[in-house]
Amino acid sequence: MSNQRKNLVEIWEDHVHIKDLVIAVLLCSVPALGGYMLAPNEPPLPLAIGLGSAFVGFVIACIVIKPKRHLEEIDEE
Amino acid sequence: MDPIIIMQMVAAGLFGAVLYTIIGVAPGTDETAVLAPVTLALILAGVSPYAILAFFISAITAKKLTDSIPVAVAGIPGGVMAAPMVEPAMVLKQHGLSNLSIKKMASGSVIGTIVSIPVSIGLAMFIMPFADTIVSYEGLIFFSGAVFLALLTKNKLLSLIVIVPFALLIQGLRELYWATGIVAQDTTVFISFFLGITIGPIIFSIFELLNQNTRNSMPRYGYKEIEFKKVVTTERFPNPLKILTRKESISASFGSVLGSLTFFLSPVGMTVFYGELLSRRIKDPVKRASRAISTMDSLTSATYMSGILIPLIAIGLPLSPVAIGPGNALFNAPPVFDIDNNIHHQLTMSEIIVATCIGAAIAMIFTYYIAMKFANQICTFVFKLVPHEALIGLFMGLVLMLAFMDAGWVNLFGVLLIGLVAGLLHRNGVNYGVMFMILYSAPWIMGVFGS
Repeated sequence: MSNQRKNLVEIWEDHVHIKDLVIAVLLCSVPALGGYMLAPNEPPLPLAIGLGSAFVGFVIACIVIKPKRHLEEIDEE
Repeated sequence: MDPIIIMQMVAAGLFGAVLYTIIGVAPGTDETAVLAPVTLALILAGVSPYAILAFFISAITAKKLTDSIPVAVAGIPGGVMAAPMVEPAMVLKQHGLSNLSIKKMASGSVIGTIVSIPVSIGLAMFIMPFADTIVSYEGLIFFSGAVFLALLTKNKLLSLIVIVPFALLIQGLRELYWATGIVAQDTTVFISFFLGITIGPIIFSIFELLNQNTRNSMPRYGYKEIEFKKVVTTERFPNPLKILTRKESISASFGSVLGSLTFFLSPVGMTVFYGELLSRRIKDPVKRASRAISTMDSLTSATYMSGILIPLIAIGLPLSPVAIGPGNALFNAPPVFDIDNNIHHQLTMSEIIVATCIGAAIAMIFTYYIAMKFANQICTFVFKLVPHEALIGLFMGLVLMLAFMDAGWVNLFGVLLIGLVAGLLHRNGVNYGVMFMILYSAPWIMGVFGS
């Protein structure tokens, strides 16, 4: 594979690309904090909006970032 | 009980089962780090305590059922608790029996959950008369817990030495927040410090990357190679008692009783210990591995269930590794729950039992069926579509938001500080249990050592 260049580091038992990690952290924490702060100040709205935006960020991160795993399927027996 | 409350519990149980069936498969996800923030957020968002309990029980049952799937198909643990199962599962995989391995593990897990619920309730009733005495020594008990857990860790000396300094860091920050008026005098910052400890190891790793020298000297990897064996799945709803042999069922049930009895000890430690003990004498490697994984999975499920149920029913304080880690929010989530007013106080024993049974039943039916039928698809989905970066990002995001909620901007740095220290300590063999116990006993420790 072309992207088999060894440029990943291991964090929390799996391999990650540093630049992608920064992007993912930003994609999730900026909406979480922003959503919390911009929401109308009536509990539980700030938390709910913060959580919702963090989850949207997570979904976007899943779409734009490729998992760094290579699956090799072998048939049983 | 009101049908609306029951509906809420069923809905919450389903949500927990679906979410943690997926998260359970993701490699390396630590139970505390993935369960605590979500539970906390739901509690703070005002979800009813009945639904919260059903959610939590369903989530742990589902997570325990699915974290063994990647062990069987790919030989990588889906969570910290599944780590001891890798070795026997690899034996089965080498004999081409991944298929069997998933079934044995999931069935063991179901037996563990079912057996541990009545055993935990019985134990809780036995402990209940002493609850008031236990609660009045709270500070001392958590401190002793820290010392006790410190003696069980890899780095005993460091774990003992850090007790007072770490308590100083926690109380120091709290006093500073009070002195500067960042938080009101009657508010104790807890949640974000707890989460800071939880994701400490990740924060520490990320900050290490900022150092050019460390970055250059870090081992570099290509893509993570995962050998994936397709397993044959069943059509009908499988019966756990038919999948396990008689001896395996007995040893799985026995294991879950033992696991429930030692609810106050480390689940991973107990799993390895009993799993070895109960399968050691079998000669045939395949039979031994099969006995070991079914017993171990039943044990982890049982220790999880009893670790949360017994403190919840009998005491109202998080006095087990499970309660103090993943289940912490059920005991302490200010302003909704605190040590004197949490699920233990708000729900009667029978309500706790009903919520537990609903949560466990939903997860067992949904996840057990899904695990048996779609093991391949779930693994492929998670491995191919959910990048590890996104999971880390999501949890970082949640922690930052809750840190801000607790004490504003300054606390983002406060949590960072706690995370860095906790990460450094974790790296050097001080486990989560010790740090959580210190977090709970910090006011008491400072009261004793400060005067």
